[in-house]
Amino acid sequence: MSGAMIAFFILGIITIGGALLMLSLRKVVHMVVALAFTFLSIAGLFVLLEAEFLAVAQALIYGGAVTIIMLFGIMLTQHDDRDESRRPLHKLLAGLVSALFFLGLIILINRVPWPNQAGEPLFMENTANIGKELFSKYVIPFELASILILVALVGAVILAKQDKESPAKKEGDKA
Amino acid sequence: MDLETLLSYPWRIMLPEFVIVITAALLSLLDLFWKEQASRRPLAWIALAGIGLAVLFLVINAGQPVQEILYETFRLDGFASAFKLIFLLGAAIVFLIALDRDFGQQLPYQGEYYYLILTAVLGAMIAASSADLITLFVGIELLSISSYVLVAIRKHNLKANESALKYVISGGIATAVTLFGFSYIYGLTGSTNLFVIQERLSQGVNDGLLPLIALALLVSFVGLTFKLSVVPYHMWAPDVYQGASTPVTAFLSVVSKGAGFALVIRFLMVTLQGMADSEMILWENLAGLLVTVLSVLAALSMIIGNTLAMRQTNLKRLLAYSSIAQAGYLLVPVAAGIALLQTGEVSASNLFHIVLFYLAAYLFMNLGAFALVQLIGKETEDIRGLAGLYRRAPGKALAMTLFLASLAGIPLTAGFVGKYYILMGAVGANLYALAAVMVITTVISYYYYFGLAVQMYMREPEVDQPLTAPSSLNIVLSVCVIGTLLLGLLPNLALDLIQTQFNLLEVFLPYSH
Repeated sequence: MSGAMIAFFILGIITIGGALLMLSLRKVVHMVVALAFTFLSIAGLFVLLEAEFLAVAQALIYGGAVTIIMLFGIMLTQHDDRDESRRPLHKLLAGLVSALFFLGLIILINRVPWPNQAGEPLFMENTANIGKELFSKYVIPFELASILILVALVGAVILAKQDKESPAKKEGDKA
Repeated sequence: MDLETLLSYPWRIMLPEFVIVITAALLSLLDLFWKEQASRRPLAWIALAGIGLAVLFLVINAGQPVQEILYETFRLDGFASAFKLIFLLGAAIVFLIALDRDFGQQLPYQGEYYYLILTAVLGAMIAASSADLITLFVGIELLSISSYVLVAIRKHNLKANESALKYVISGGIATAVTLFGFSYIYGLTGSTNLFVIQERLSQGVNDGLLPLIALALLVSFVGLTFKLSVVPYHMWAPDVYQGASTPVTAFLSVVSKGAGFALVIRFLMVTLQGMADSEMILWENLAGLLVTVLSVLAALSMIIGNTLAMRQTNLKRLLAYSSIAQAGYLLVPVAAGIALLQTGEVSASNLFHIVLFYLAAYLFMNLGAFALVQLIGKETEDIRGLAGLYRRAPGKALAMTLFLASLAGIPLTAGFVGKYYILMGAVGANLYALAAVMVITTVISYYYYFGLAVQMYMREPEVDQPLTAPSSLNIVLSVCVIGTLLLGLLPNLALDLIQTQFNLLEVFLPYSH
């Protein structure tokens, strides 16, 4: 077993373990921490695939920004909230369906005759290539994504803004 | 890529989209410098002018042959133009509904409200005119996120908050499901271009990857059903329709749903088209499976939508369930299209025209009904708000009767003709059981549509004052009445117009360099 294989298994176990813990832990803060482990080990998996740009982006955005913002959100609201409502039968059924889906997928994926990696190695300048693709071939979706982020920003401002006037007399309120 | 190559693309085919973007940007700037307490209704007029200009460019572009920009991340074809015309028309009517003076005064963040509708329309337009999974996805997400904000914008309304949260969570799950399916498609084909995917998937079918391909297509489709609000992702509709302000509800029920259909039809038809050439038995297995799943979902939507609508007392909830059923009807020609794909009969049959016709009919009758809900919604959104409408405003009661008759599918209305075409399409594709379900559920739907009519004519009104509408709502009502009547009385005229102006089958034509 090669070193990459061992690293893959360790990272895989952390990824899945983090996700499982996130589902089974009761306290919201613990859930987010478990999720952070999943995010970071996915970044590790990207490193193994020699997609270092994706790995850095994953660590920065998911491991950093998303986790921190979620923690902030929890801290600023009800940070000792606990997940109480548990329906055992519902959980069992959901687990069964997911297990069946997973098994089916494994069987199907194993049947795919993957072609051998042909031609140049994948890791040649892949950051540069992502940049080139993004700003040439995919420039339309890229620009659209910037509009999308603008919309999300406007939405966040609207929802989070404290209105100066009381709700009752906020006719025409706008700042 | 240098500037010269970039400029060599036919950017003018994107002019309608550019107009919408620029109008939205202009509105956001104007909103910033607008006097704080002043009414922002003029902004809606600017938005309407922008939409008008976009329609103009769209019509100018419509007659041209298929063109594309940057590897078909944007494409101009008859299919896209026709759907975009519907979205722009729908958005214009939504703006007219929102121009209602009393409504605007209660609305917080009026400026944002207007330009978020524009960005949502932009998303819908992009989702209708690309042959690349990434652009399609970004388009539909732009539509979704704008809609989430539009639903949540009345943040001091408890119902709106609840529904916005439900909307964003179920929307997020649906997006994840779609992306999961897309990732399998990309993994199997190594491309995001629908035409390349089509070629490689048909190769894959011959290599024995059929089950995985079927799974990928089905999972992607199931995620997309959220936008169509058909089973299994229909549960958000009643809550969100009730919680959102009426113009937004009207927008969600027509434009957002239409964008979902444009995307689903392009995605399924184009990717499956190539597979019709692969081995006979394999193809029949795949097509059989997809047709079965789509038929079951369509049938369930019709049954659930129409039966649950009977028990509603809130007008918007009732219309939400009715819209779930209507989406079920619209899914029937899609299933029929897949069934006919192999024999090439899909080109001969006019299933796409049927979808477009029904969507146009649905636009008029549903937006008309929502315009009336906006009017009486100032008093109450309960069904009893309609009581005695005939005495209070006979013209409006007659208009509403027409919309309800059309939604129910009574002869001489647009809805009837649309349903008739859909039924014929289903029978032509040998989907007899589905056609039967459609007829039965249509009869069931008469019950609640007539329940509303009974309220209008037979019940005593709670207030006896005559009901007057602002002129913008009167315009909407008359446009919708004319549209519903025209499509119902002269359907051939409309179908001919669709056929001569928009070659919907261009959706299958890859751009040849």
